Amino acid sequence: MLQYILRRLILTVPVLFGILVVSFALTHLSGDPTDLILPPDATDAAREAFRKLHGLDQPIWVQFTQFALHAMQGDFGNSLRFNEPALKLVMDRMAATTELALAAMALTLLIGVPSGVWAAYRRNTLADITVRGTTLVGQAMPSFYLGILSIIVFAVWLRWLPTGGRGTWWHLVLPATTLSFQLIALIARVTRSCMLDVLGQDYIRTARAKGLGETTVVWLHALRNAFIPVLTVIGLQVGFLMGGVVVTETVFSWPGVGRLAIQAIYARDFPVVQAIVFLFALIFVVVNLIVDLLYAVLDPRISYR
Amino acid sequence: MSFCWKSTVAAAAFSTAIVLTPAAATTLTIAQNFDPQTLWPNGTTASDNLNAGSAIVESLFWQDPRTGKVEPLLATGYEMETPTTFILRLREDVGFTNGEPMDADAVVHSIAIFIDPEKTPAYARVAEPFAGAEKIDALTVRVTLKYPYPPLELALSQIHVVPPKLWTEMGLEAYGQAPVGTGPYKLTSWARDDKLVMERNPDYWGEAPVGIDEIVWRPVPDDAARFAGLVTGEFQIAKDLSVSVAPALEGQADVTLVPVPSYRIYQIGLSSLPKDQGPLQDKRVRQAVNYAIDKQAIIESLFFGKAEPLHGQVLRQPQLGFNPSVADYPHDPEKAKALLAEAGYPDGFSIPFKCPSGRYAQDREVCEAVAGMLSEAGIKAEMVALEPGEFLRQLRTMELAPMYFVGLAPQDDPSFQASQFLSDWRYSPIANPQMDALINAGAMEMDVEKRRKIYQDLMALMHDEAPIAFLYGGIDLYGTTARLKNFLPRGDGRMYFYGVTLDE
Repeated sequence: MLQYILRRLILTVPVLFGILVVSFALTHLSGDPTDLILPPDATDAAREAFRKLHGLDQPIWVQFTQFALHAMQGDFGNSLRFNEPALKLVMDRMAATTELALAAMALTLLIGVPSGVWAAYRRNTLADITVRGTTLVGQAMPSFYLGILSIIVFAVWLRWLPTGGRGTWWHLVLPATTLSFQLIALIARVTRSCMLDVLGQDYIRTARAKGLGETTVVWLHALRNAFIPVLTVIGLQVGFLMGGVVVTETVFSWPGVGRLAIQAIYARDFPVVQAIVFLFALIFVVVNLIVDLLYAVLDPRISYR
Repeated sequence: MSFCWKSTVAAAAFSTAIVLTPAAATTLTIAQNFDPQTLWPNGTTASDNLNAGSAIVESLFWQDPRTGKVEPLLATGYEMETPTTFILRLREDVGFTNGEPMDADAVVHSIAIFIDPEKTPAYARVAEPFAGAEKIDALTVRVTLKYPYPPLELALSQIHVVPPKLWTEMGLEAYGQAPVGTGPYKLTSWARDDKLVMERNPDYWGEAPVGIDEIVWRPVPDDAARFAGLVTGEFQIAKDLSVSVAPALEGQADVTLVPVPSYRIYQIGLSSLPKDQGPLQDKRVRQAVNYAIDKQAIIESLFFGKAEPLHGQVLRQPQLGFNPSVADYPHDPEKAKALLAEAGYPDGFSIPFKCPSGRYAQDREVCEAVAGMLSEAGIKAEMVALEPGEFLRQLRTMELAPMYFVGLAPQDDPSFQASQFLSDWRYSPIANPQMDALINAGAMEMDVEKRRKIYQDLMALMHDEAPIAFLYGGIDLYGTTARLKNFLPRGDGRMYFYGVTLDE
């Protein structure tokens, strides 16, 4: 097991190096940030000074070598806009994003999985049709639209919740719901179809035949077996979640990494964009490693040697 | 609904009501687009930074949006000694909140920073004519210029005074994160990208805003969210509202809509530079483009009337040099066709037309409307929409030519607006020696009346030369609580709180 984890971790290194290359190439392909950061009437001398200060006057391969060497030590350089270490800017906002992402994930698991199980158990009843219909809408609705709609209904009309910002638990409700809405729908649909497969298996009939209660059959025996594909989807959707925070944090003025990403992209603040891409990629890789390890916990037949 | 459910919902509603109780009546919460990057006003020209920063760090003079005049603030006045030196007199008994005095040493230090392009690259152009400053006595400073400089007052309104000892200890970056100034407010806390809190400076030297003990700045990037927070009372000021929400706010008793004519002038560049050979070399073709566009239709249909006609010139009505005898080109497609025929294009022509998408309000829609109107006159504009970053890059390198939509917001002096049409200026769409002569004369002329005449002549000449199609001036929309009195932002997005009152 330990060997497997080590092997996976070693394999992570070329992946992360690839991410460095891609993020560097993509940001630099988008052009020179000087025009976006200095005002239009800045003098040529001021432009040159800015380019020199941030090393933008160097040949591209020199810039990449410098960037890669420093990035491996966790130094992504200073933000062009804030003139502070890019990684620090990102880490300062990580707590807010983690809070939002965890809340969204919790909602996804608490609502998505049970509704999927319920819909499968009550297949082709009104309950099933309702869950399927709702999840279809959930998956189809863009999150920025849902976010604005929920602000209008719950903040402006009903005045139950704040329009945005971070602070109390109440501030978390609308952004977390918006962020999780599509995920809930997806997880409910995946859970439903996996449960349908499992509920038709012989061992479920056996469990029932030996007199186990329906609750035990469905929630312990069936769900445990149906959960592996669901877990895989959740692991992959961590990427979706990290993309989703960009929109959700902007709509709800949530002070997280997603909003920093948008601002950095618009201003071509290369170091910040690169730090965010790298960190998100790292999180994605680690979460999926954890998901792989969890398979063994869920299904003893799977072992990593 | 069962009793159990009803009581649960009621309890939830009650508890939310407690949570959402608005902040104290003496707190002013302001929603802007962005969180400041620095609170040192000379660190940036972005209005969202300056608005917050200048509530703490004050300038020598300020331009009052109510009158447009530059008024003394930390200075009490200045007198010209020679055309290139002047004496600056400072206000007595003003101190920074850390105990340092605001005196000649502080001002000499601040001017030295202001004219150092390494420290203040964003102000390099305005500061360029300054040679240096020396202390005469505790409250008097002599400033030397490299040459006579007509927009001197405007430049003086941009020099912000910092405490020299603290500045030297902290350095530029750290000072921007925790500034100390002479202003009516001082920094309490700053949670980046979330909220910036300022409290009243109890020792403020001047008349502090009435009824505002605390200012909270919230970065709210989404237009709809700023609007929603204003309606629910979470924000007392919402900056940059979309024109489409204006009708919804106009009927609300507790909200005031404050439309401010912006410094930003929207135009279509029509390059006649030697490098851009083509139909636009002919003045008649450029005039035809102006006749072909229905400016009023754009203002009415795309901006709900919330934009200003330009009167056929780039200077705004309140500016020195605005020429009252120049009027907008009327919408006259027949005249446009006749001019095109006269210039040798009876069947029109095709031309690339570059346009930003997402840089200005409704930019793409305006371009589509313009392209449609031009096609009626026989000009086939082949529209290319550009992402804002790429648009700015092409603007600077003049790759947008021959025809492009742009909104330029230079500083509030005619020389800044006019110099954008100098032959050697990097954005200029025209190289015209007659225009150059007037632009250069205006930039050097110290006599106000002579200067006015120069710019009026320039406006008439530019109208005829038509280096651009004159479209419209923008309007910035602010929403405030009706409790806020005497609040008027400036056309460059700047908000000041001098003389402002927040009723209970």
